[in-house]
Amino acid sequence: MTSIGTGYDLSNSVFSPDGRNFQVEYAVKAVENGGTAIGIRCKDGVVLALEKLVTSRLLKKDANKRIATVDRNIGVVHSGLLPDGRHFVSRARDEAQSWRGTYKAPIPVSSLANRMGSYVQAFTLYSSVRPFGITAIVGGWDAETDVDVDGAVGSGPKVGAGGKTKGVKEGGPYLYMIEPSGLYWGYYGAATGKGRQAAKAELEKLKLDPKDGECISLEEGVKEAARIIYVAHEDSKDKDFELEMTWISAVNGPTKGRHEEVPKALKEEAERLAKAALEGEDEDEEKMEK
Amino acid sequence: MFRNNYDNDSVTFSPQGRIFQVEYAQEAVKQGSVVVGIVSKTHAVLAALKRNAEELSSYQRKIIPIDTHYGIALAGLASDARVLSNFMKQQSLSSRLTYDRPILLSDITSRIGDRAQTNTQSYGKRPYGVGLLIAGVDAKGPHLFEFQPSGVTQEMVACGIGARSQMARTYLERNLDSFEDSSREELIKHALRALKDSLSQDKELTVDNTSLGVSGVDEPFKLYEGQEISSWLETTFENRPEGQDGDSMAVDS
Amino acid sequence: MNHFPQAWGRPRDDVYGQYNPSYLPQSHGGTQQPITHTQSPIVTGTSVIAIKFKTGVVIAADNLASYGSLARFTDVHRLKHFNRKSVVGVGGDVSDMQYLDRLLKSLDVEENYSTGSHTAEESETDPAMMGANNLHTYLSKVMYKRRSDFNPLWNALLVAGLDEKNKPFLASADLLGTTFSGPTMATGFGAHLAQPIMRRIVPDEAASQQLGREEAVQAVRDCMKVLFYRDARSMPEYSIAVIDEKGVELKEKEVLENQSWDFADKIRGYGTQTV
Repeated sequence: MTSIGTGYDLSNSVFSPDGRNFQVEYAVKAVENGGTAIGIRCKDGVVLALEKLVTSRLLKKDANKRIATVDRNIGVVHSGLLPDGRHFVSRARDEAQSWRGTYKAPIPVSSLANRMGSYVQAFTLYSSVRPFGITAIVGGWDAETDVDVDGAVGSGPKVGAGGKTKGVKEGGPYLYMIEPSGLYWGYYGAATGKGRQAAKAELEKLKLDPKDGECISLEEGVKEAARIIYVAHEDSKDKDFELEMTWISAVNGPTKGRHEEVPKALKEEAERLAKAALEGEDEDEEKMEK
Repeated sequence: MFRNNYDNDSVTFSPQGRIFQVEYAQEAVKQGSVVVGIVSKTHAVLAALKRNAEELSSYQRKIIPIDTHYGIALAGLASDARVLSNFMKQQSLSSRLTYDRPILLSDITSRIGDRAQTNTQSYGKRPYGVGLLIAGVDAKGPHLFEFQPSGVTQEMVACGIGARSQMARTYLERNLDSFEDSSREELIKHALRALKDSLSQDKELTVDNTSLGVSGVDEPFKLYEGQEISSWLETTFENRPEGQDGDSMAVDS
Repeated sequence: MNHFPQAWGRPRDDVYGQYNPSYLPQSHGGTQQPITHTQSPIVTGTSVIAIKFKTGVVIAADNLASYGSLARFTDVHRLKHFNRKSVVGVGGDVSDMQYLDRLLKSLDVEENYSTGSHTAEESETDPAMMGANNLHTYLSKVMYKRRSDFNPLWNALLVAGLDEKNKPFLASADLLGTTFSGPTMATGFGAHLAQPIMRRIVPDEAASQQLGREEAVQAVRDCMKVLFYRDARSMPEYSIAVIDEKGVELKEKEVLENQSWDFADKIRGYGTQTV
């Protein structure tokens, strides 16, 4: 940050002589202080997980949910300034609703990511606004089965003109991460927030790329997500935290293509394993030292 | 004139990713007199310390009933609170009119949160200079929410905001475990004691400077002021057995 | 000076020439047609009927969408499942029904923003879930707003289910924004043909609190049969839903059984009869 104080970092939408937009970079700093958020794209679904730092003992436990539902099949987790995250979510919901209004069908995750990328980018263009102080991870499942258009009555012709094409298969799990600049990529595993470095290192160890053969299942993904959040929390051990996890499975999977919170039993199991894995690591380290 | 170059407006991030204007707005909350809120399994209670500008003037309004099932307590700029409370009243009525159901407290809280957020992201606007405690009972039971000028909203078991509210929060944290199963009367006493703890030494809670908002399952939100609260003040502070909570009360009488 | 009212406030013809009234409606000498909205439904569904019983509500409607007197679509589902507490039955214009269905779907999505990031088990018992009464209030406001805009949704609706306190709830709303409720309800021809039969079984609220689920279902099935006998815009395939504490049980491919057309033996003058 050599250019701090030169005046090029005082207003949004202004380039510095070396071609940087400092206000966007500062917005990224706001994200880097937030709790770790991750998303994992598994074979048969998507997991979203969040390290929720407990800032006060007076907070109600297990309330204050931060992973939001945007459409039935899409969830968003974000790290950074909380109110900016809610602004993002509320816009995403509007986009999803307006898509349904136009196309009478749910918005594909890729289209939502695209629209939200454009929206976030627009907040880097003008000096009258500031960029979003969040990085958002958008995960969802595009239905692979034939979906009726909204409001359909009856089933239409079974064969012939207007009938259904056999064997057509599309849809599946999708995961995108949108940054304060408006930049977004599709991911197999995405991480942001304070512990993103550790989380990324762990994500890279997982089998997530379909090109490398079978990638991990949704249930494995849930357990890995819990473990990664616990690992990422290690460095900032000072504060207490709550783990929040949601998932979206295939239409024939456990959530029936919907974005839901991970069931209590499974989450507790995942947390137990995560803690055990951490303790195991510590023991290993101790052994090494000996 | 300014502390640094990054605190002129609410659309500029500092190099650390902070927005100073928003942080300054939070300071305005600390200028207001203290308010406290607590929930139990069955009740939600607000308690507030009212100030008067001068000896002969009236006391400010600190607790505003919004709908029959909930109300708010404010600390900071009262006029900003009026804008927000009017908005909350409209939204609450519209829920009753359109769906014939009382609005959920989580819903109304996030709506004012979203409104406050827009003030922190565009030039020419300023953040609200008020913090709110929103307490009441909805279909999901009793709730207490805290609202901050930044747009952050959080559901709490107990909370205190405003001048010297740290002392109230210390009291609340110390008694945190007893709130859930408290009766209505016990909860009110806890709220009054927490409020009392953040008073400066030369001040006392009186029927003139204290207000209470109480709501419960099957009990609509009601504001209690003046003589209505005298018996609560008496039973909470006068006839307390020796030794109980002695440390916090030793300074006054 | 021209004293005719249509000339008031207008430029004088003798100074500015003939006034061009073409933008005015016909009633004022212009050529504009008045704005008109739906004057009649196009593709329509017929009656919806429902009965409240001890612990819930039964509701039914057949699967036909008629185009005038033509039986145009025969697999149209007119009972809309909203959540585990409510079902909406729709009669009248089918495209307006589709609009309402989309409205319901987006309302459901919105409702689940707050409860959505909950586990499936939690949302089963969500105390803040919309009851059928809340849904009915909402729909009646929609219908009333549209009629006040002179642009009505050409439907008659029955909202059936459980209210916030899990008590059986049944009420109607129609294209005029009028609402009604009662232990038995019917729209369209059902109001004339089925309602008397249902009222014989359930004359009042007290009677419906005595009525069992099986009896209620049977009464509705009997009524559907009578409606098919006498309503020329009906068909023998129908949907039926039962809503109670266990949730919604919706069947969309029921067929009338044990039909007997004996009563029509003496009816002459219709169809292909020659004698």
